[in-house]
Amino acid sequence: MSGLQLKAVRKSFGSVEVIKGVDLDIKPREFVVFVGPSGCGKSTLLRMIAGLEQITAGELYIGDELMNDVDPSKRGIAMVFQSYALYPHMTVRENMGFALRFAGVSKPEIEKQVLEAARILELEPLLERRPKELSGGQRQRVAIGRAIVRHPEVFLFDEPLSNLDAELRVHMRIELARLHKELRATIIYVTHDQVEAMTLADKIVVLRDGIVEQVGTPLELYDDPDNRFVAGFLGSPKMNFLEGVVDGENLKLPTFGAQTIALGDLAKKLKNGDKVTAGIRPEHFKRGGSAAINVTTELVEHLGGETYAYARHDGGDVLTVAMDDGRELVAGDQVRAEYDLKRVLFFDEAGQRLR
Amino acid sequence: MTIAENSSKGGLLARSRIARREQINGWMFIMPALVLVGIFMIYPILWSLWMSFQVGRGMNLSFGGLSNIIRLTQDPILLRALFNTGIFLVVQVPIMLTLALIFASALNNPKLIGRGFFRTAIFLPCVTSLVAYSVLFKSMFAEDGVINAFLMWAHIIADPIPWLLDPFWARIVIISAITWRWTGYNMIFYLAALQNIDRSIYEAARIDGVPAWAQFLYITVPLLKPVILFTSVISTIGTLQLFDEIMNITNGGNPADSTLTLSVYIYNLTFRFMPSFGYAATVSYVIVIIVAILSYVQFLVARDRRA
Repeated sequence: MSGLQLKAVRKSFGSVEVIKGVDLDIKPREFVVFVGPSGCGKSTLLRMIAGLEQITAGELYIGDELMNDVDPSKRGIAMVFQSYALYPHMTVRENMGFALRFAGVSKPEIEKQVLEAARILELEPLLERRPKELSGGQRQRVAIGRAIVRHPEVFLFDEPLSNLDAELRVHMRIELARLHKELRATIIYVTHDQVEAMTLADKIVVLRDGIVEQVGTPLELYDDPDNRFVAGFLGSPKMNFLEGVVDGENLKLPTFGAQTIALGDLAKKLKNGDKVTAGIRPEHFKRGGSAAINVTTELVEHLGGETYAYARHDGGDVLTVAMDDGRELVAGDQVRAEYDLKRVLFFDEAGQRLR
Repeated sequence: MTIAENSSKGGLLARSRIARREQINGWMFIMPALVLVGIFMIYPILWSLWMSFQVGRGMNLSFGGLSNIIRLTQDPILLRALFNTGIFLVVQVPIMLTLALIFASALNNPKLIGRGFFRTAIFLPCVTSLVAYSVLFKSMFAEDGVINAFLMWAHIIADPIPWLLDPFWARIVIISAITWRWTGYNMIFYLAALQNIDRSIYEAARIDGVPAWAQFLYITVPLLKPVILFTSVISTIGTLQLFDEIMNITNGGNPADSTLTLSVYIYNLTFRFMPSFGYAATVSYVIVIIVAILSYVQFLVARDRRA
């Protein structure tokens, strides 16, 4: 299995630059997820790796080989498309074996490969069916099977689960994780769904406007984001961002009735009047925390296992608070939302993390 | 009778009244169209069927029973026309449809420069008048026309080809003419169908290393099967009705009836020779039967074997 390297890769469509210099190092057998909002360039980047889009500038290596001008079929990759891209007039068996016919693989060998892929994906009973006779999840498995039979060095997945319903998506997510273990292949996976990114990835690449915002393991990005964008993109419900102004040792929060958050060591690096944003994740509000914000609940969502309270102070900004003992809570209650000061993140005016 | 039954019966009555009114309204809406179709399509069809059993010259018609059908079997000119039409059908339709398919898939490539120009250029013949282009072809293929001039200038031939005087070359001219006129028309159907195929299917094939010819043969052609069937049926019908080109280019079937088609023969029977409306109607029904049989065969061939 090969790794990949992207060096200062750029892509322009006419005068519009959509990928603005991406450097990335993907190790063999790694499960890498490109995640970002729509239009961030993640699919374009994947298609550049696949060879479906020309690379405007920079270098792409798969293994140790420069691949910029190599035909897609010679890059040692296989791709699974969002629309599945199955051949509608062929059976499952033909769909999976079709490409091998042109790779000089003998008929018995094709048959063997197809059956092996069908076994891995539990498609054996469906081999004689056509795509239109399959459910969405089954079609997706056929698309994956078509990729598997080619034994590629690198698998590329372009939003493969977005056409599935929620339940199936969870199921296929688990399937994909299992498949990664079984195939021991390098996988690059594009999604806009941060849950898929968090659950599947060895390494997440967060993209915004054609720029890599941060690369790291899911928990690194979750616990230690470099900027406000990454902090806000990962995690559901979203992190709370509390706008404030530096006032001595504290951050004063005008939208929360001038309550304060202690800045700790950061205070030395900041001066009075600096605009700073504090980030607190909803689940970081815990009883017995070292600090607190006083708010009034406006809406309470009881999900059974947990409770989310949406609260404000005097009509200011909304604060989302997760509670594990909030069953008695109703809208209008006064809440002292306690939190651990050590878990609060601070961002400067440009959205960069203050450390 | 309970109240519930009573009211439900009343409801039924009201419902049937509404239904009847809807029926009447519906019929009133389609009546004008139906009347026109009846007068100008159904009546002539039935009338021609009745005509096909009439014998006699001009308006002196009398019922002849099966004598027109017997005449069919003993008519050498009809055989000739059938043979010519068959040749045009077997040679021209496959050539035209293959060309249209190749043009369509070439012009569907978004990377092709001048796509719009070529699409227009290939479609343009379809909007020219049948008579105008026929006259033009006739002059181009004249003994001293531009085609001969060009071929001689390029040293492909030494002496001019007698295009319209030799039976073989005359058929070639007719086939070229209708191919030129109708290829773009069929191409438009293929282009429309191609644009409905998910582009990622081709991207997947490309990544999987399926060569371009195989993508065309094993993906494009099967996915276009319904449209290919449709175009082959309408082209077959069109060829069986081939008329304008023959009238104008080869003056109604010259030389020596080598380009005479069924439609021209019917025209000749009706308006050129001693008018024989009855027999002309019988020959028309020969076309109907051939079209029906060929269309059925094409559907059979194209039918999904698994379905």
